[in-house]
Amino acid sequence: MQKHSDDTLVAYLDGELDSAERQHVEAWLAADAAARDRLAGLAQSATLVRSAYVDIVNEAVPERLIAAARGENGAAPLSHDAEILVLKRPPRTIVSVPAGRWGIGIAAAAGLFGLVLGGAGSYLAVGGLNSANPAAEQRLAAAAANGTWLDNAAGYYKLVVSAGDSMLIDVPAGGDTGEALQKISQNLPQQVRLPDLKPWGLSFRGARLVVVEGRPAAQLVYTTDNKAIGPLTLVIGASKQPDIQPTFDRRQDVNMLYWRHQGRAYALVGQTDIGYLWGIANDVAWQLDAI
Amino acid sequence: MSFRWKQAEAPVRAADRGDPVSQRFSDQLIAVLPRLRRFARGLTGTATEADDLVQAACERALAREHQFQEGTRFDSWMFRIVQTLWIDQLRAREVRKEDGDVAEERLGSDSAVRTIEARLALAEVRRAVQLLPPDQRTTLMLVTVEGLSYREAAAVAGVPVGTIMSRLARARIALQQHLETGGGSRRSLKNAEAQ
Repeated sequence: MQKHSDDTLVAYLDGELDSAERQHVEAWLAADAAARDRLAGLAQSATLVRSAYVDIVNEAVPERLIAAARGENGAAPLSHDAEILVLKRPPRTIVSVPAGRWGIGIAAAAGLFGLVLGGAGSYLAVGGLNSANPAAEQRLAAAAANGTWLDNAAGYYKLVVSAGDSMLIDVPAGGDTGEALQKISQNLPQQVRLPDLKPWGLSFRGARLVVVEGRPAAQLVYTTDNKAIGPLTLVIGASKQPDIQPTFDRRQDVNMLYWRHQGRAYALVGQTDIGYLWGIANDVAWQLDAI
Repeated sequence: MSFRWKQAEAPVRAADRGDPVSQRFSDQLIAVLPRLRRFARGLTGTATEADDLVQAACERALAREHQFQEGTRFDSWMFRIVQTLWIDQLRAREVRKEDGDVAEERLGSDSAVRTIEARLALAEVRRAVQLLPPDQRTTLMLVTVEGLSYREAAAVAGVPVGTIMSRLARARIALQQHLETGGGSRRSLKNAEAQ
């Protein structure tokens, strides 16, 4: 009898009784103080249980679970198509050229036979686009693909671009880029250095705090009037993953070159083609000693 | 020195290639991950085990995407997968016995540990949930925490509604009794409730 009463009380609390049953319980409660106490106790325990688990849904979901939900875990074939390139330190001979002059030339050159930046008689020959040990590189790429951070990097880029002139910059460049970087670095495990991409016609607009591998990272935002390049972002974060050679991928309709070097993960993200990305990534890697 | 990469061979995502993992299905799965983690946490008692369980559930769901019936509740379908995997794990590891040992350990034989843990009122509640038998724990999480109706919980657990009703009552009463006899934690539980 007690068991039936308990079942009924719990069902009453959960709103699972029909009208007749509800009236029966209410009549019972009206006449029985002990039943009312029992009901109050059950309601209290239910409230506590809900409270005990309420915060879990607000926790950040681990990247590995998001990757699993996307079918990107383990031997998932995500990286099979990713092209692995090898960065070599280029000669630091970039010559600033008006954007309008070299934009088309670079794209054509990159698309046809590699990256040779031409314009007004000056050029940048970016060396080292050799493929190295394909099997090892593929393994590294597969490991890298487990991280959803690349999808996030693409998402962060789209967020910046979609914001247009009202970019969601946490730390605007202002007049002192060093100060901006100092501010953003305060939230990061390592100091962030700013690659100078003016030779590419790219101006630093500021930095945003983002997340890479579950930890704070910097998203450096660059813009340019050169539509062949468009806005670019460079995500730099700390990483515990092994080094990986520069790899080209396309996610969420955005191109990217990503690599890891000595505890740092880099992703250069934009809508420009691989030629530009590759050249700029070379420059970034050279400046940041990230090769 | 030239690019090995060619424009025509530009990488594309698996979903773009038309692979079985549809974007929409993945999006649904990602959307329900927070609740799956909470449900799994309630079942397993630890964050790591819970996330392992959810990860396994994701993999199984993707493998059985074709079995999901459009128009039915996706979250319930996923809860069922999580629950099934968990039961499988319990059986495989004979965790029913192990559970008791772990529960004792979690309660803490050291009075100092107990005192410290007693301050964490909600942790006490979670610990009490871990003391419940697996079927009651599952029912409690589905109905009281996740808000499923008895009928929906019955579908997830694969049992009649009446069974859900009785399991839930037993769970709630056992929980209440445990919390009432929680000694030093009693006051903190009241504080937690008041917050």
